[in-house]
Amino acid sequence: MHLFLQRLTFALANTTAVLIALYVAFAADLERPYWAVFSAFIIAAPITGAVRSKAVWRLIGTLAGAAAALLLVPPLVQSPPLLCLAMAAWVALCLWWSLLDRGPRSYAPMLAGYTATIVGFAVVEMPQAIFDSAVARVEEIAVGIVCGAIAHSIFSRRTVATVIEERLIDTVRLCAGWIEQTLAPASESLEHLSASRRLQELTTDLHALSGHIAYDLSDVPRTGRHLFVLQSRLALLPPQLTSLHLTLQARERGHSHAPLDELLDETVSWAHELASSKDPLGNTRPAPAVRPSATSPNEQQQGSSELVDRAALTQVEDLIATLEDCRLLGRAIRDPTTPLPARLEEEVKAARPLPHFRDHALAVLSAGAAAIAVMVACALWIVGSWPEGAIAAQFAAIGCSFFATLDRPVKMLSASLVGVLLALPFAALYQFAVLPLAEGFVSLALVLAPMVLFFSYLQAIPKLAGVALILAISFSGGLALQETYQPNFAAFMNVYLAEIAGVLLAIAINLVFRTLDPAWNARRLSRVAWRGLSALTRTNAPERRRSSQLNDCLGQLAQRAESIDAATRAHLKMDVLRDLRVDANLKTINAAERHGESSATQRLAEIRHLIGSIYAARAESKPEPAPEVIEQSLDRGIEALVAQPPDRWVTRALAGLLVLRMDLAPGAPLSSFQAAHK
Amino acid sequence: MIGESDLDGVFFPVLLLLATVALVLTLLLRWVLRRLRIYRFVWHAGLFDTALFVLVLWLIALGTTGLGLPGSNAT
Repeated sequence: MHLFLQRLTFALANTTAVLIALYVAFAADLERPYWAVFSAFIIAAPITGAVRSKAVWRLIGTLAGAAAALLLVPPLVQSPPLLCLAMAAWVALCLWWSLLDRGPRSYAPMLAGYTATIVGFAVVEMPQAIFDSAVARVEEIAVGIVCGAIAHSIFSRRTVATVIEERLIDTVRLCAGWIEQTLAPASESLEHLSASRRLQELTTDLHALSGHIAYDLSDVPRTGRHLFVLQSRLALLPPQLTSLHLTLQARERGHSHAPLDELLDETVSWAHELASSKDPLGNTRPAPAVRPSATSPNEQQQGSSELVDRAALTQVEDLIATLEDCRLLGRAIRDPTTPLPARLEEEVKAARPLPHFRDHALAVLSAGAAAIAVMVACALWIVGSWPEGAIAAQFAAIGCSFFATLDRPVKMLSASLVGVLLALPFAALYQFAVLPLAEGFVSLALVLAPMVLFFSYLQAIPKLAGVALILAISFSGGLALQETYQPNFAAFMNVYLAEIAGVLLAIAINLVFRTLDPAWNARRLSRVAWRGLSALTRTNAPERRRSSQLNDCLGQLAQRAESIDAATRAHLKMDVLRDLRVDANLKTINAAERHGESSATQRLAEIRHLIGSIYAARAESKPEPAPEVIEQSLDRGIEALVAQPPDRWVTRALAGLLVLRMDLAPGAPLSSFQAAHK
Repeated sequence: MIGESDLDGVFFPVLLLLATVALVLTLLLRWVLRRLRIYRFVWHAGLFDTALFVLVLWLIALGTTGLGLPGSNAT
């Protein structure tokens, strides 16, 4: 019932927005009032902050696109091939720029690209009208945007803050559940990959939401700095947890170590309580901690099983600390008056946005595909003397731009084609049967309201939102096609067919250029990640930029890896979680190298370079160093660290080395280390 | 009441100019109110902001009607 009301509110808000936009457009005598309708539909979203941020970027994009058309068309209109080349280049440039930036901002350049074709191609027959056409388009779109933004701000109470809170709760619950499943003794076959993929999705969601915060109505900390710190903590969780899992698996069967066993039991019940709690952020149960006596090394016993226990203890502690930090930050985001511990407060103050991994190859490919689609449509238009070819070119540009972020744009493009075909009879019915009967705005609004309400309600249902948007756009687009109010069936059909031809063209070009084999794509991303990892080993300094890009790249990979079967993954040596662990453990040994004494730092630097050469070789498909070499080098590192006084850095680095040894030399059991050590 | 003002040869409705000024003022005012944490007492921030904008616009329009702005005496 609550959900129904929420959706109904959204639908009513959207209907109001659409009808007011239509009224204003008619009252102001705009050329194509249905463009305003179209625009109001596009920016509609169930979160007010998202509507407002989309509104701003859409306005900026439209202005930039119209300006580009004004610059390009008059000097080039005498030479159609040059104009088409220039337009195709502009679309490609804008799309490329938009694809490199995955935040809400990316909407503006994408829109600038195809708006130029919409404004520019419409007036090539009478270039003197370009200024009026550009102004008219901007006005129509602005009316739709403003009406949409106001209506949604007034009606909707669902702010970015509430959605962020929901996501935060989901995230903590997911992490706690994952920890519980991993540490509970009964757990057997556990899908780390799918849990990490879900965590990655939630993190991506949080990142997208943080882009909308500045436009929100709520009182969440404006800058989103808390979210940056939270993201860095969430990125730590999967490697920490799976490292711990590996360490625990390496413990000898039946071996017991009272402090560790107690801590594990406590952690499991704590995680269970968080995972099943209604409000895992506010849950006040204290986090489990190691009893003080347990941390002192017992009587210089330094066999491999004691080492493993010590490593597991620090890993559990670090894991708990990470989740606690996430909860503290979550609480502070939910309620800005909650005080943070001083160390987190400082980190939040110093936080900056995490640099993203930029997928240049894919961006260039998509941009190139869009340029080719526009040029092919233009060639048909010019060579075939097809008067509606301009519309085909516009829709080819729109189709190639709109879904360029997806792995398989063809799927959504085909869905859009179906949507356009489905909406055709409705649009025709309204255009030729219903609208001519409407007298005055009130009756027009009354006949349009049911359709608008229906589409808006569908838009509020997350699963149907995409389909609903396509239907709504095709419907209002169908109405918008008419340049005059006089119904003219032949003109209507010509334009409609050109629109379909444009989408078909976009499908064909995307089939040729943007159909990526998932395994090939994952392999490509893997190589990028391996190269990044190998670059990270050059120094022991924390390289914030590289390491954040690597993390993002591996996150992108995690979202795709699940669709590839395990045998192929093993064959390609592709393992997202292993790479995440190697990266995280590399950071811990780097920290030890920076803090440690000279005898150990030498060994640790050797290991760092070794990891670099392993990953460089893997990225270039060259032979990697032999497992014995890796094993010996890591064992020497472990020996050097064991000889050091066991402070925090040393213990962490030891744990890191143990996990690195299991990841990089998987064939060698840990007992072989014990033998070598004795 | 709603006339057009001539800005270097381009005609703008006076209302558009006033609304732009009002929008900027509203954003400033909103920033100040947020700083003072007034929004804790606001039930519906969207409605409040919209109402604030309308009030500011009305005040500006009231203040400028007698000033003989370009176009403000045209019909």
